[in-house]
Amino acid sequence: MSYVIGAECIDVLDRACVDVCPVDCIYVGDRKSYINPTECIDCGACEVECPTTAIVPERAARKQDALNSHLTDSRAFFELPLPGRSEPLGNPGGARHAGEIGVDTPLVAARPRP
Amino acid sequence: MAPSPTVSTDVLIVGAGPTGLYGAYYAGFRGLSATVVDVLPQAGGQVLALYPEKEIRDVAAIPAIRGRDFVAALVAQAAPFHPAYLLGRQAVTLGYQDGEPVVTLDDGTRVHARAVVLTAGIGVPTPRPLGCGEEWLGTGLSYFVLDPRAHAGQDVVIVGGGDSALDWADALEPIARSVNLVHRRGAFRGHAATLERVRAGRTRIHTDTQVVTLAGDLAAGRLAAVTLRSKSGAESVVAADHVIAALGFISELGPLRDWGLRLRARSVAVDRSMRTNLPRVYAAGDLTDYDGKVRLMSVGFGEAAIALNHVAVDLDPDLALFPGHSTDGA
Repeated sequence: MSYVIGAECIDVLDRACVDVCPVDCIYVGDRKSYINPTECIDCGACEVECPTTAIVPERAARKQDALNSHLTDSRAFFELPLPGRSEPLGNPGGARHAGEIGVDTPLVAARPRP
Repeated sequence: MAPSPTVSTDVLIVGAGPTGLYGAYYAGFRGLSATVVDVLPQAGGQVLALYPEKEIRDVAAIPAIRGRDFVAALVAQAAPFHPAYLLGRQAVTLGYQDGEPVVTLDDGTRVHARAVVLTAGIGVPTPRPLGCGEEWLGTGLSYFVLDPRAHAGQDVVIVGGGDSALDWADALEPIARSVNLVHRRGAFRGHAATLERVRAGRTRIHTDTQVVTLAGDLAAGRLAAVTLRSKSGAESVVAADHVIAALGFISELGPLRDWGLRLRARSVAVDRSMRTNLPRVYAAGDLTDYDGKVRLMSVGFGEAAIALNHVAVDLDPDLALFPGHSTDGA
């Protein structure tokens, strides 16, 4: 179980969630943030902080196609090499160790900019 | 120097979250004395620290209960057995004397226990670093306000957007020479009423802004100024005797990492009896890991019962593993 960040985050990237995550498992891409589903401890602290209510529990995300695609996409962000990288990000054990990633998944990068 | 205080107990429980509190009850139920240590100043672990007002709905026989009330009930359940609480103290090292564990706390207290049960959950909450000026820690930079009076007459810069940052701005404004409150985002997370008071006062608020450098006489430990950078890239310099970084907490395994425990990622490996690889050291709750592990309080309670029943038998082989039913004595 985990939480997932949906499309409402794209181009907002508020980072309020990053500030409250007690295990530092929210990683900042270029236009969106991503929760590491392996490192997430399911506390829900981020859900209430998001100014665009982009964050939902995994079980709720499964029931909506639009969110379900971001659930799969969040896994891809960590498990597959991101554009321009040769290795997957994996589970760095804390976003502060990894720094801002600055790259998005193809799904997010393909979204037209506002 | 006064000798370090020594405490003796049958079971030392490390972590006063729900699993540890239930472990304290269960130790008593099995006729064992218990001492509970926690780095936080209050019992209740993640529930009180992260979601005291949230409703818990996944514990058997309790349809819904507020986090705060749930913790109070766990403390009350253990109370008849008089567990000793050592709060605001961290278990730092593990050693052995005559085959029995001796755990040293960060205040020097030595706890002689016949068994140790680790219920440390996600670990020790550690302040999130400021990201610059770490070399000023202890002189011009701190993560807490222990005594507001220490900042009387100072130019103070507070960094953060949650309750701690707002509370400290509110507390220091009347006594500091100046207060600058710096927050990376546009909106504050803290209590609306506190924010209103801070806005109405003489605190200068800088939103969408970060602290980028701390400058002063490092050798003398005298901070003079900090540089702020706004989202637009504009930089400004404000006078600062002290920076208080209130950026929240990240939990880490902490000193347990060096105890020689067999670890699985950030968790402690246990067998089906909740034994770790170390003699007389058991673990239960979110801290443990094994194939098929599910991190829920319900599971933690079950693991606490497993651990404490095995502790009881390991300490007195004449006892049965099965404790009898709690209704028997009624």
